Parts: sequence; C-alpha cells; structure tokens
Amino acid sequence: MRTSITPPLRFVGLVFVCLVSACTSRGHAQATLDEAHTMVQGGDYAAGIAAYRSLLARDASWQAAHGLAQALQATGQYQEAASMLRAHIADSITNARQLFTTLGETLRALGEHTQAEDAFQRAVTSGARDRLTARVSLAELRFERGGDERDVAMATFDEFIDIYNRGEARSSADLAAVARAVQYLGRRNPQLFRDALRAYDEAIAADSGNLDARVALGTLFLQKYNGADATHMFQSVLADNPNHPGARLGMALAKHFDGSSEAFGLTERSIEINPNFVAARAFLARLYIDLEDYPRAVAQAERALAVNPQAVDALAMLAAASLLVDDRAGFTRARDRALTTDPEGATFFIALAEVCARNRLYRRAVDFANHAVERDSLAWRGLAVRGLNRLRVAEMAEGRRDLERAFAGDPYDVWTKNTLDLLDVVDGYRTTRSDRFEFVLDPKEADLIALYLEPLAEAAYDSLSAHYGFRPPTPIRVEVYPRHADFSVRTMGLVGLGALGVSFGQVVAMDAPSARPPGQFHWGSTLWHELAHTFHMERSRYRVPRWFTEGLAVFEERRARPGWGDEVTPSFLVAFRQGRLAPVSDLNQGFMRPAYPEQVIFSYYQASLVFEMIEAEQGWDAILRMLDAYRDGASTPQVFRTILDIEPTDLDRRFNRYLERRFAAGLAALRHGNGAADGGGGGGAAPPSPEALARRARADTTDFLVQLGYGRWLFGQGQYQEALPPLERARELFPEYVGPDSPSWYLGRIYQAEGRLDLAARELAGLTARNAKHLPALRSLVEVEEARGPGQDPSVARALEALMHVYPYDIGLHEKLAGVYRTLGEGERAIRERRAVLALEPVDRAGALYQLARELQLGGRPAAARRAVLEALETAPNYQDALDLLVELQAGRGPGES
Amino acid sequence: MGATPIPGARVRPGLLAALLCLPLTTAAAQTHLVVISGLGGETRYRERFHEWAVTLLDAATKTHGIPEGNTIYLAERPALAPQRIHDRSTKANVERVLREVGEQAGTASQVFIVLIGHGSARDGVPKLNLPGPDLTAHDLAAALSGYRTSTLVVVNLASASGDFIPILSGPNRTVITATKSGRERNETRFGTYFVQSIATDAGDVDHDGHVSLLEAFTYARTEVARSYEQEGTLLTEHALLDDNGDKVGSHEPDPSGADGAIARTLVFGGPSAARRGDPSGAQDPVLATLSRTKQSLERAIAALQQEKQRMAPDEYEQRLEDLLLQLASTNRKIREREEQIP
Repeated sequence: MRTSITPPLRFVGLVFVCLVSACTSRGHAQATLDEAHTMVQGGDYAAGIAAYRSLLARDASWQAAHGLAQALQATGQYQEAASMLRAHIADSITNARQLFTTLGETLRALGEHTQAEDAFQRAVTSGARDRLTARVSLAELRFERGGDERDVAMATFDEFIDIYNRGEARSSADLAAVARAVQYLGRRNPQLFRDALRAYDEAIAADSGNLDARVALGTLFLQKYNGADATHMFQSVLADNPNHPGARLGMALAKHFDGSSEAFGLTERSIEINPNFVAARAFLARLYIDLEDYPRAVAQAERALAVNPQAVDALAMLAAASLLVDDRAGFTRARDRALTTDPEGATFFIALAEVCARNRLYRRAVDFANHAVERDSLAWRGLAVRGLNRLRVAEMAEGRRDLERAFAGDPYDVWTKNTLDLLDVVDGYRTTRSDRFEFVLDPKEADLIALYLEPLAEAAYDSLSAHYGFRPPTPIRVEVYPRHADFSVRTMGLVGLGALGVSFGQVVAMDAPSARPPGQFHWGSTLWHELAHTFHMERSRYRVPRWFTEGLAVFEERRARPGWGDEVTPSFLVAFRQGRLAPVSDLNQGFMRPAYPEQVIFSYYQASLVFEMIEAEQGWDAILRMLDAYRDGASTPQVFRTILDIEPTDLDRRFNRYLERRFAAGLAALRHGNGAADGGGGGGAAPPSPEALARRARADTTDFLVQLGYGRWLFGQGQYQEALPPLERARELFPEYVGPDSPSWYLGRIYQAEGRLDLAARELAGLTARNAKHLPALRSLVEVEEARGPGQDPSVARALEALMHVYPYDIGLHEKLAGVYRTLGEGERAIRERRAVLALEPVDRAGALYQLARELQLGGRPAAARRAVLEALETAPNYQDALDLLVELQAGRGPGES
Repeated sequence: MGATPIPGARVRPGLLAALLCLPLTTAAAQTHLVVISGLGGETRYRERFHEWAVTLLDAATKTHGIPEGNTIYLAERPALAPQRIHDRSTKANVERVLREVGEQAGTASQVFIVLIGHGSARDGVPKLNLPGPDLTAHDLAAALSGYRTSTLVVVNLASASGDFIPILSGPNRTVITATKSGRERNETRFGTYFVQSIATDAGDVDHDGHVSLLEAFTYARTEVARSYEQEGTLLTEHALLDDNGDKVGSHEPDPSGADGAIARTLVFGGPSAARRGDPSGAQDPVLATLSRTKQSLERAIAALQQEKQRMAPDEYEQRLEDLLLQLASTNRKIREREEQIP
C-alpha cells in the first residue's frame, strides 16, 4: 500500500537560484516583464495587459505571451487569450511549448475539453516546465468523464505522490499540482487531505506570489467547512491583489458559509473583474435562488453556460431554478446536459440537494443526495448531505448512519463531525411524548420545560389546525437545546447562528430558555412561531417563500397570546419614513440580502403587517389561498395578481398607505427623529446635554423622542414628579411603542416607587399585555399586584404565567404562583407549579415534595400524593408535616388499599 | 456563678455590665461564637458584612440558644453599632479574643469562629484583611493551637479563603471556606446564603428542626450556584468543607465520602440545641422508651433505604410507609408525653 508524502522538499533553494539567474540574463526586456508581472499580481490587469502587449509587439517572448494570457484569463477574456496563444504557438515562438498548459487551461475554462486535453498532452510530451500542472489537469478532465476514465485518472493522481517523494515537484506550480492530485486521492484515503494541505503550504512557501495556490488552499478549507482558515487565506490574497477574482469569489463563498449577506456583493465584485467567471456566475445563480428570484438565477446560469457550456455547477443551478418553478422540461434538459459532461453526476446532484435544503425542500434534498451516493460510492459529501437532511425529516437513525459513513470517509468535514458530536449529546437527552409531539429535552431541565412545552405545543397544534384548516402529520419532533451552540450545529452544522429556533417541517429545533440570558427571548412565542412554519410548509408542500412564512409566523404569534410577537419600534417607523424598508414585492431581499443590519428584524415585523393588512382587507381566506397558490407553483408576483388581484407595485403602494394610517400618530411624533430611542438607526451622534434636552422638550411637545429622552433623564436623576409630564406626553404621542424603554415602563416604575399602586398596576398591565417579553415589567407587575392585596390574585397569576414563557427558572416565582393558584382554586395549575419547584432541584427537596403531595391530595389524587410524601419522608423521616399528611392519607384509604 | 468576661478582653464598660448580667453558663458543653468582620473597604461592603454578622449573632442567641455571653463580635468600626460590636477587629484583638475563648471553652465545648470580609493570598500567604496588620491563616492557626475543645468550627466567608483549609485542617476541626483557593478573589455570595440558612429554617432540608453545618453549607453552595446560573454568569466561587482533618476540602461533601460525616452532626447551637426535640436523654422513663423506639424506627428506615435497589417499588413503598406511620405515631406520643410533663 502506498504511503503518503514524505517530507521535506530538497530543491526549493536550487529552483530559486535558477530563476534568479534566468531573470538577470534577460536585461531590459526582463525588467519590463517584471513590471508587467507586478501590475497583474497587484490586480492592475488593464495596465498589465497593456504592458504585456507592448512587450509582445517589441519582442515576442513566451514569458510575455504567458503573462498576457494569465491577465486575460483573470479578466475573463478567454477567447482572446486562446487566440493569442494559438497564434504565438503557430508562429513557433521560442520555447512555445511553455504555452501549452496555459492554452489548455484557457480552453478548459471555455468548456472546450477535447482541445484542452490536446494542449495539455502537448505540454506533457514536450517537457514544458509546467508539465506537472498539465498532467494533473489532464487527469482532472478524465476524472470528470467518469467510468473507466476515472480509474485512469486516479492512477495518475497516485503517481504524484511518487513524483513528490522523488523530489521532482520543484516549483511552486509543481507543488500546487501535487496538492490538486492528492486532494482527489483524499476520496479514498482522507488522511491525504492533510498531505494536500501540506503540499499547498509548500507551494506557497516556495512562492508566496502564487496567488492561485493560495486561493486553492482557501477553497480546500472551505470544502471542509473550515470558514475561519478559508477567510484568512482569501483575505491574505486580497491584501496582495484586491482584484483577484478567485479570492473575491472565495470570500463570497466564505461569507455565504457564515450566513452573511455580504456574499452577494463580493460575488458581484468578482464578476466585475471577470465577467466570464463561470464559477462566480454559477454561485450568483445560487444566491438568486436563495432569494427565490428564479428568473435572475436562470439568467446568471445561462451567462455562465454561454462561456462554458459544460459547466456542471451552472447546469446544476439551471436545473435547480427550473425545478423550483416547476419547469420539468427545463430541469430535464439541464440534468441531461450535466450528465453528458459528467456521467457520474455526483457533483451535480449534491449541488441540487444543497439548493433544495436551503429552500426547505428537505425530502427532495435527501432524494438528490441519494442519487449522488448511488452514482459515486466515494461521494462523502453526498452522503453527509443525505444524512443531514434525513435528520431534518426526523429519520434520525438513518441520518446518523449516513453521517457516520461520511465521517469515516472524510473525517475533515467539520459539519459532519459537529453534527455527530451533537447526536452524541442528544443521545443523553430525554424523549417524552404528547398526543401530537415528541419532545427531545436535556434531562437537566426536561422536568421543568416539559410542564410548559407540552401543553403549549398541543394548544398551538389545535389553534393552528383550526386556522389553516388541516392537520400536518404527527408526531412533530421538538428538540430544545440549553446550549445555543448545539442548536446552531443542529441547524447549520456550525456554531454562530443568531436565530432562536428553526422549523424543518416535521422537526423543530430551538433554544431552551436557559440558552439565553434571562429576558432575552420569549421561548413560548418562539415555539409557536416555529410550529406556524410547519403548518405553512406542509400546506404549501414546502413551496412557501421565506418572507411569507416568516411574516405569517410572526402574525400567528400575535394571534396566539396578548403581547406575543414583535412590536413596532421608533427605528422601524423611521426606516419606513426614510424609505429603507424593502418593498413588499421584494421582501425576500430584506431577509436574505439586507441593506443594513437591522433590516432583517424590520422585515419580520413588516412581513407580519402585510398579513395583518391582507386579513383586514381581504379576509383570512385570501392568505390560505396564497399558500395554496405557492403550493401549485405560483411565484410571488403571480400570487399577488391571482389571489389578491393586484400588481406587485400597487401592493407596495397600498401597504405603504396602510402603514401610514396604522401608525399615523407614531409617524407624526417621529418626524424629526432618527429612531435612536430603541437603539436602532441612531447614527452615533452625541446625546444632547440635559439642559438642551429640557429646552427642546419644552419647546416642542410633539416630538416623541425628545419627550421620552427628557423623561428618561429626569427618571435617572430621581426627579420622578418632574419626569411624569414628558413621559406621559411621550406615551400619548406614540401609544403603540411598548419596547424595553417605553414611556409606560418608566411611568410604572415611578408610580410603584411613589406607592400609587393602582396607577402602577394599570401602566404595567397595559405594557405587558402588549409586550409579554418585558421581563422587568412582568416582575414589577407581580410586586405591585401583590402589594395591592389579595384581591389581585388573578392579575398576579396572569403576570406570573406570562413570565414563565420568558424565564421559568426562578423557584420563588413558581412557589408564589402555586400559592396564588391554590387561593384561586386552580388545583391542576397549582400542582404544575409545585412540580416546577421540584424540577428546579430546590435545596429543600423534602419541603417541595411535601407541598406537591399536599396539592395532589387537595386535587383528589391521593395515590400520587402518597408517593410524593413518601419521597419527602425518605429524605427527611422526621418531617412532622409530612408525617401528618401521610397519616391523613392513610386514614383516607380503605383497608388494604395502597 | 456569673458569666465570666473574657480575661484581658478590651470590652466596653457598658457591654461588660451586660455580660455580667447574663444567665449562668457552665464551661462544659457550651457553644461559643466569635464573629470577626474585617476591613470593608467601601460602605456597601462594610454594611453587608455588618448585616451578616448581626443576623448570625441574632440567630445564634435568639434561635439557636447560644448564650449572649458566649458571643463575641469584632468589627472594623465599632462605632457603627456600639451596642453590638465588642471591639475593633485588629489582629491583636482577634488573637487575644481567640486565646481567651480557647482558655474559657471546656473540652466538651463547641467553638464557632466566623470570619467575614475580604481575603487575599498574596505571595501564597492566605489572609483576612483587617484594620492594621492582616490576619494570616498561620496567625489564626497559632491562635487556635491551644484549643482543647471537642469541636472547633472555622467558617471563612471571605474571598480568596480556600487556602485556609490546608493550614487550619486537623482533628476535631471543621473548616468551611467560601472559595476553593486564594485565586478566587471576586466578591463572594456564599456568606449571604450561609447566614440565611442559619438564620431561617431554609437550610433545614431534613426538617428535623435544626440546621446542621452540612445542611447550611449545602444550602449556601447550591444557592450560590443558582444565583450565578440565573444571571448567566460563570461561577467564580467554589466553597469547600473539610471535616476529616486531611487538609483537603470538598465542594460537594457527602457523609459517605471524605467530608461531611462530622459536619452533619454539628448543629449551630451546639449539643443543647440538637437535643431540643430529642428526648433521648430525658429523665422520664416513658419518654426514654419512646425515644428508643423512635431511634429504632429511624435505623429501620435507613436500613430499608439501603435495600431499595433490590426491592420491587411497590413493596419498598409499602414497607417504608409502614415504618413512617409507626414513626409518626411514636412522634405524636412523644409530643403528648412532653406536654404532660410540667
């Protein structure tokens, strides 16, 4: 069995010396060559091309032709490069053999594979200096043809190990060729990926100016889902050549991998340099598919194919776009073309599977990945994609099996490794079931979370079933992760996802309330939101666009409970007034390609308002018919036209008018502001001095931000009486604003501090009824209502109940709620709260068990009460109250009963 | 015999008079409590430390039956509470008071020493910051070296207190520290919950009517962890308990493990407090018999628990219930008998 590459290189120093002597012997022409080379290396392609042309006009050397060809390639002038090279070869320029490889690469970029092979072959047989590059390129073309050719190609790749070990790979280009070959060998022996890495490192060490080797190394990192190293590598190339199209595309891929919308801009900038960059066009097509802008995706794929008709990545995007618009003929044409170029087709099907997964078509992703795996048993990525998507459709055992096989084949795939590690964690989780759900919970908090999660999920299922008129298949699997990093890996294979929850349809994953600092998210509404997605996906057969399902899910949150779902903020209204919201007709942009960081958050709320408007104007049934239209393959403009009977641009205008009416008061009160009160769009201007603020507040009582700012400042100074008028005025000006720093919050606190409890209760109850995730307000409301006396128990219960959906980890609050429910005679809820206390592992476990037993007894469940009190007495046998209860329970039983 | 002031202690005249008026206490089987509060540095710390000290002293005298004359409170600023603070907590005063208490306490006595304040471990020397020279763990060990008491408890609630354990650990000694080492230098919360457990019945997790040192430690440790968890911050203090004299503290002591067996038997108020509600030593023969029955039932319950894993759940529950019902009956008879005795 062949071993891997043995270190180290022995000829690097010698090669360097040879190059130096060759350069110095050329005199003036060489100096100009150096200048031209420096121009191209630094990204000044136009100047470099001009310099090379000038050189060629004076003294046609193969070096000038080679340099010019590379500059033309970088800028996408492949035809011109090929013509120029052919001409010089035909003219028998001195050392013309040194141009064959470059000619081959140019022809390969144009999809002219037969002619490319011929050129590569000539480079090999003529003993060109870059014959190793030609040889690996030849093998790659054979590999792509599949079948028996693939075995021949693999044998060629294998020879590169010997070449390396014999020290025959001397130049940076040779070492990069070794790296490319060894990368293919990694399919069979994943350890060789490390050797590929090393060979790239050596290639770069031999010539740090070999930018293509650096880009190739970055791409290798990216293929293994190592975004950080990939980014670092691409950045280093861009530092040397800010216009390197490959590095720009690499950065775009890395950003896309990180979930950043910057991918778009970077890809477009890559194409600005090289308009015929096939890989960049294909990737841009993928990004347009993410945006669900299929016509643009098709246009990009076709532009790529116009350059290289055999580009499998572009054909995959063409097929994907066709598939997503139900163009079966288009899909078949693209597929057949791809399979003609690459009969094995694994790359094509993997790309399709990945696109389907990003577009929520998880089952189809499994099917396409399956095609890839069936066609190429070494397609580890295909196996991994199939496994990951099986996990998304709740085929847990099958998914895990795929991932384990994929990991055995390629242990450097970070996504696969992370997911397998996560599955090991989930193995320790507890699975519980309710009528329609399967809950997978960390055992440390399963007892607590399940108390609230199960009834809420069941209630959501019933409510949403009634609203959408159908019942999705069950059980729905709900996974709850106390570590946000685990949730992130479950969702996208890596840590760093900003979301709180995700719905794959039959599987929902979300952060546990403990995954975030107290009060940072409302886990109850998050669950409802994700389950709403499940209904949207199922009803539309997974064809619903992102903007639609996100907006409708927020809309459903608001329907679910008072105060759930997003609320309007000053910065949202300011963004609307400034025309910075995405138009409804292009709202996916707001999610997938935000123009500024807050636009994603604004888009959720904006999209929910779209449904508020549609329901108000055309009824709920219109929304259901829209979902059905998506199911039947309609695009968003078609849905607007056929269901809402409106042109998309007219809908944009109608929505703007709706917002103007809906938030007329707020918009008027924000006419001077930049929305900084809620931290958005502040622009970083220094805050005004208190004196200036006071002057402005007195001079203009119609400016919400000024009134609120002044009131807050006075509050901070403890000048409560003085703070009341501006805060009350602010509330009057923009009554819909119930954010964390809303006027009502400060007013509630002032009234509470001054003992004006009725006013405090009214203020805080009003605030929390419209913002149920305001944890401090909920806590204050509990305090205020308790201080008002026993008659306020229902209000205390409401506040505490709401609080549990935000932060359920405070033992004292559960004890309090248990007591309130006992007073109110709500026995089952009191029992739930006693169980919650117990689940939080109080130090006084015996006491908690006793209280539970007492509640169970009062609830007419003596058998359960007996078990609980026995458990209490196990810990504390002399616990007198518990002994008394045991005696009581025993007395209540008939003889022989247990 | 009157209450004996500590020889040589610099006690304010008014307080001395108060001490002289205290009820009779004997040297044997007494519990002594010395609370030493060091430098506060800032008002908020000074007030917090004083609050801990006063809460502890009030609980000691009012709830746990420690005679007021057996309590000493030294603090940074006696003027803060002249009625409560016996003297300034300088190193000299601390050493003198500790020597005096050691001389006064009999072999059967329990001595509780509680240190409150900011600690440090500069140059590897663990110390409590006091007005003037600090008190090192070695200074404390020297001051306690002559103690003949059967039970000596040192509770160091200060930051960076963990390194006191290897220096103070020894036979008949229980040492509790708020942190696991001198490197845990942040402000500690352990004291808040430790004092709370002593002052209320929150720490009485076995509901036997008194809080053992192990219960108090466990309560405080658990609540500290919970408070950090609820804030979403990393736990920066890991309290330790050592009661087996091996110079190594346990963060989660367990009577069946290295530490905890002795701390479980120690009650803050000392043996007399532990005896409240426990008539085993009663003169009344009926009570004595009932007490033996109760102890026998407690042993049977403990033995049954050992068998739990080998029994069917229903059978275990039934037998446990039978024993507990007998225990309930016995306890009721004890209460009734106690009420009959004048």
